[in-house]
Amino acid sequence: MSTLKMRYTLTQSQKMMIFVLSMSLYGLSNMFTELIPSIQLGPVELSVEYFAFIPLTLCMLFHPLYAAVGAAVGEIIFGELMLGQFGGLGELEKFITFSLAMYTAGRMVSDPKNRRQVGVAAMIGVAIHQFLSSVVDIVKVWVGVEELEAVKGLAESIVVIEGVGFLNDVLFSGILFALLPTLYLVPRLYGKIEPLLGMKPRERNMKYASGTWLSPKLVIGGILLAAVALGAELVSESGWSIGEFELPWAESNEESMIWLSMLVAAVVAAVVIISLLRRAKRKGQQAGQLDA
Amino acid sequence: MREPVLELKGVTFTYPGADQPVLHNVSMRLVEGDFTAVIGSNGSGKSTLCKCFNGLIPHYYSGDFSGEAVICGLSSEGRSVAELSRHIGYVYQDFENQLVRPTVMDDVCFTPLNYGFADYKERGERALALTGLSELRNEFIWQLSGGQKHLLALAGALAMEPEILVIDEPVAQLDPQHARHIYEILRRLNVEYGKTIVVIEHHAEFIADYCRNVILMDNGSIRWQKPVREAMSSVDELLALGIYPPDVTQAAWMLQPGLRLGRLYPLNVGEGKACFIHRDKEVVPSVLFTNEVHLVEKEKEIVVQMKDVRLSYRTIHRTMNPVLNGIGLTLRRGESVALIGNNGAGKSSLMKLIAGMVRPTEGTVNVKGIKVNGLPPERLSGIVAYIFQNPEEMFIEDSVRKEIAYYLKARRLTDTEERVEQMLHAFRLSELAEQDARLLSGGQQRRVSLAIGAAIRPAVMLLDEPTANLDISTKQEMVKVLETLRGQVETVVIATHDMQLVAEWASRIIVMHQGRIIADGSKDEIFADGQLLQRAGLAQTPLMELSQMLGLPHICSSLEEFTQNVALQKEGPVHSGCCQTGA
Amino acid sequence: MDAVKRALDRISVEQIKLELLGTAYNSSSTFLGKLDPRTLLVWYLFFAIVPWFVYNRTILLGMFILMVITTVLSRVSPYILFILCFGLISQIGWLFLLSLFFGGGIESLLPMLTLTLKLSVISLASITVFSSLDPERLSDGLSSLGVPDMFAFSLSYGYRILPTLLEEFHQILLSFRLRGQRPLKHGWLYCRTAVYYLRIVVLVFYPLMLNTAKRSRTTIEALETRGFSYALNNPKVKKLKLSYLLMKWSDWLFLSGSCLYITLLFWLGYLHPNLLY
Repeated sequence: MSTLKMRYTLTQSQKMMIFVLSMSLYGLSNMFTELIPSIQLGPVELSVEYFAFIPLTLCMLFHPLYAAVGAAVGEIIFGELMLGQFGGLGELEKFITFSLAMYTAGRMVSDPKNRRQVGVAAMIGVAIHQFLSSVVDIVKVWVGVEELEAVKGLAESIVVIEGVGFLNDVLFSGILFALLPTLYLVPRLYGKIEPLLGMKPRERNMKYASGTWLSPKLVIGGILLAAVALGAELVSESGWSIGEFELPWAESNEESMIWLSMLVAAVVAAVVIISLLRRAKRKGQQAGQLDA
Repeated sequence: MREPVLELKGVTFTYPGADQPVLHNVSMRLVEGDFTAVIGSNGSGKSTLCKCFNGLIPHYYSGDFSGEAVICGLSSEGRSVAELSRHIGYVYQDFENQLVRPTVMDDVCFTPLNYGFADYKERGERALALTGLSELRNEFIWQLSGGQKHLLALAGALAMEPEILVIDEPVAQLDPQHARHIYEILRRLNVEYGKTIVVIEHHAEFIADYCRNVILMDNGSIRWQKPVREAMSSVDELLALGIYPPDVTQAAWMLQPGLRLGRLYPLNVGEGKACFIHRDKEVVPSVLFTNEVHLVEKEKEIVVQMKDVRLSYRTIHRTMNPVLNGIGLTLRRGESVALIGNNGAGKSSLMKLIAGMVRPTEGTVNVKGIKVNGLPPERLSGIVAYIFQNPEEMFIEDSVRKEIAYYLKARRLTDTEERVEQMLHAFRLSELAEQDARLLSGGQQRRVSLAIGAAIRPAVMLLDEPTANLDISTKQEMVKVLETLRGQVETVVIATHDMQLVAEWASRIIVMHQGRIIADGSKDEIFADGQLLQRAGLAQTPLMELSQMLGLPHICSSLEEFTQNVALQKEGPVHSGCCQTGA
Repeated sequence: MDAVKRALDRISVEQIKLELLGTAYNSSSTFLGKLDPRTLLVWYLFFAIVPWFVYNRTILLGMFILMVITTVLSRVSPYILFILCFGLISQIGWLFLLSLFFGGGIESLLPMLTLTLKLSVISLASITVFSSLDPERLSDGLSSLGVPDMFAFSLSYGYRILPTLLEEFHQILLSFRLRGQRPLKHGWLYCRTAVYYLRIVVLVFYPLMLNTAKRSRTTIEALETRGFSYALNNPKVKKLKLSYLLMKWSDWLFLSGSCLYITLLFWLGYLHPNLLY
């Protein structure tokens, strides 16, 4: 018994509960956001991109991996397949970038009662996702147009469109539908939702040593994997097939390469984003302290 | 002696993190072909006990476990839940959540397919035939009614052809007709197919009619395991634990408490008929007074008025399905209206129309002089309060106090504090004010939902099945809580199957059938017409039935009233054959 | 912003149930719907990947024509097609306008048209295939191609649980509305009203999360008693489940027909690379 209390361990079924919970809730919300119309202001779309607060909240409260993957699956099933908008392989890139971002955000929170930590993690989670998907979009045009450089102004305009879209999504969707609701929900649900699933709350102040965050090994592995996440479309070039992609449901596979490296990639991507958004970070040194 | 199929030996179990064991040194055995009811008050460990049968305890819930469980000759130790579940079918109380596939056929085949039976389709078909669902095999689960879903959960368990079936509260969410239907199926499975059946049950009427043995749980241990007649005759012991034996049994006990040891009480109406006689001394029935009150109310102010209202829903086949066909109805101030009828008669739709939650296809609905057709719910909320059947759907805050205050705060009313305190007091919630309503017991949740509604101070309060899913003692409490409402609300409307509640509470009864009002009158008028109730798909309570059979001057609804009017026959035929029919 | 209100009205339980589930399981009557899911998925994989690396306009046009034919065959709803076209045109349109601003000329329209053609082929391929597969067949097809069983299960579970979730969402939303206070004035561009609704929609997820947590607990426990984990570790079960999948002559015909067409197309493409423009 005493050993059980020491670590945050989950049984196979508890992981599945988290997965199912995250999948159904985020899937449902995705259906709504698909239906809520958007306002088009020129090339920029002012829209409710997604209810990121749902996976963010669940990732912070439970095991981030299962909540993140569950949400990504939920999006594919409810938001795409059911609405008849499934984009096939294109969804794979969403799947990877989204679960990566949510997972990172979840990992960043060690104390769900700490509002500053939760808020920073929520924003970073959205930022990572939006950044990665902007990059993927740019890569798509780059692959799709034969000689990008030959067409004057195309490269610039795609970067501008994606850049504005990125800022819009981070500032509009990020603040309204990630930051605020997450700040409201996480402290409220902490300690309350876990018993309903028959598990103990995540230990408060469960710490990830800062050394782990920045170790060079992780950085290298992360960059490698960031490449995987950035170029799902490019990967398909090499005769990539779905058959080789196995989700590690079995406990034994948990350390299987892809996920381990995704974990690393998440960390690295976070670091990259943090440095990119140094200004946002400079507002307070909270993040640095919190990550410690 | 038949073979034991299930045996627990000295089982003690503690949930992880709990201090007290939920099961304490429990030993029991079930023999092949048993039909056993597990009874006990809330929290006595009934469900936990049943989860030991298929190894959920200790394999799924990792806690402290000692003792041994043997299922069909297999010890649960070292065997997985999946392995043990081949022999045991388990139907949950919230059975809806155990249906995991989109269509009926898929779901019923799910278990045998998982176990790799090549004949999974045939197994599914057989199970559907046993539960009478064969016609629905291609339907979606969301198209089924509550009763059909329950049958499907049962079919899913049957498809594995298990030796033992465990059903947690089979009838809690069903109307009386469907409840009886499910028990008939269980009896057939038991008698014709030799299945061993275990039910966790609150409704003593069903236990008396269908079960053979009873296990009484108290505080985590088994107090006794007795044949059903003996079990139900221990009236004082059961009542002390908050378990109510059948009305007929209770009536006999009230007339002659403390029978000599070994004498037994009647269990059902048939037996009761032979046991009771009409006492000659006429007792003035109290019902007459309420009737007069009812007459006076005719003059009072009109609160709700519906004129020729029709309502249709669109179905999946893009046709219109009429739910209400020409309803004309006037409700007045001070009335306690019971809306009765079987599932699908249109009760809920009628109430939703009054609350403005749906827009009538034709006709008009007026509440307090406001035409509500399609008004946004926010507009009506000060006038009408609608209490959902499932209180959890009304909980939007994280404490009872905030739940009650939500409406008042949204309108920035000045007397918010005061009114919340008043409600907490009136519904006896002061102690629970800071707790999360979702974590309360069923009865407490209902009280919270009523307090939420009453805080609005509406002119009309609409309650959807306020006693569904409650055990009998909580139900009795609800009747008192409903009395509290009288002071707060002008008119109360309840949609229910619960005839007991109707009999004890209502001043006016409206009977609905297939989207029409087929009768509207006082208690005596309605209950005297047995055919009417039958047509509406409703069952009389045993006391009503008995009052009629014995030719009492009026229909008795409460035990007190009934016992005042009858006497036990001298040398009650309890000894003789007639009382053994249930065994 | 009145649109927000209308959209919220559209989130009526019955409506979504009817629209989504009614059509989801209604696709096996078309020619493509009768094919084996594996055939369709393999076919799709080709048309989802190859166009990215083809810059020959004749070949792309030929593929586009094939896609139009299969789209017609699979009777895709016009609404979805409209959304697709609108998305493509607006995306490329803005890109073009901006590139003019950055000094591009009319000549940048041509490469972008090629891009549009590519994207259309890919999108039409996915629409054709995924609207021809009902969820069960899709998940069986995927799992026979090696996608984890958990995904296949989640997919059909999604269809099972959606109506329940919607119902519950709707009820809780009603609870908020029945006890809440709508802004008395709509505000500028219906802003207040929109904020009010969006706020509620977000708030609904608090109770919904708790209720769904309760539900998932029973579901997972029941899955255990229904042998789900046993099946996950048992390849025999998968084989049994997929044993009904059968490549019929129509499948081979469809695949070989497509192959022949593509071969001819490539041949034609290399002969006349600039047939179109």
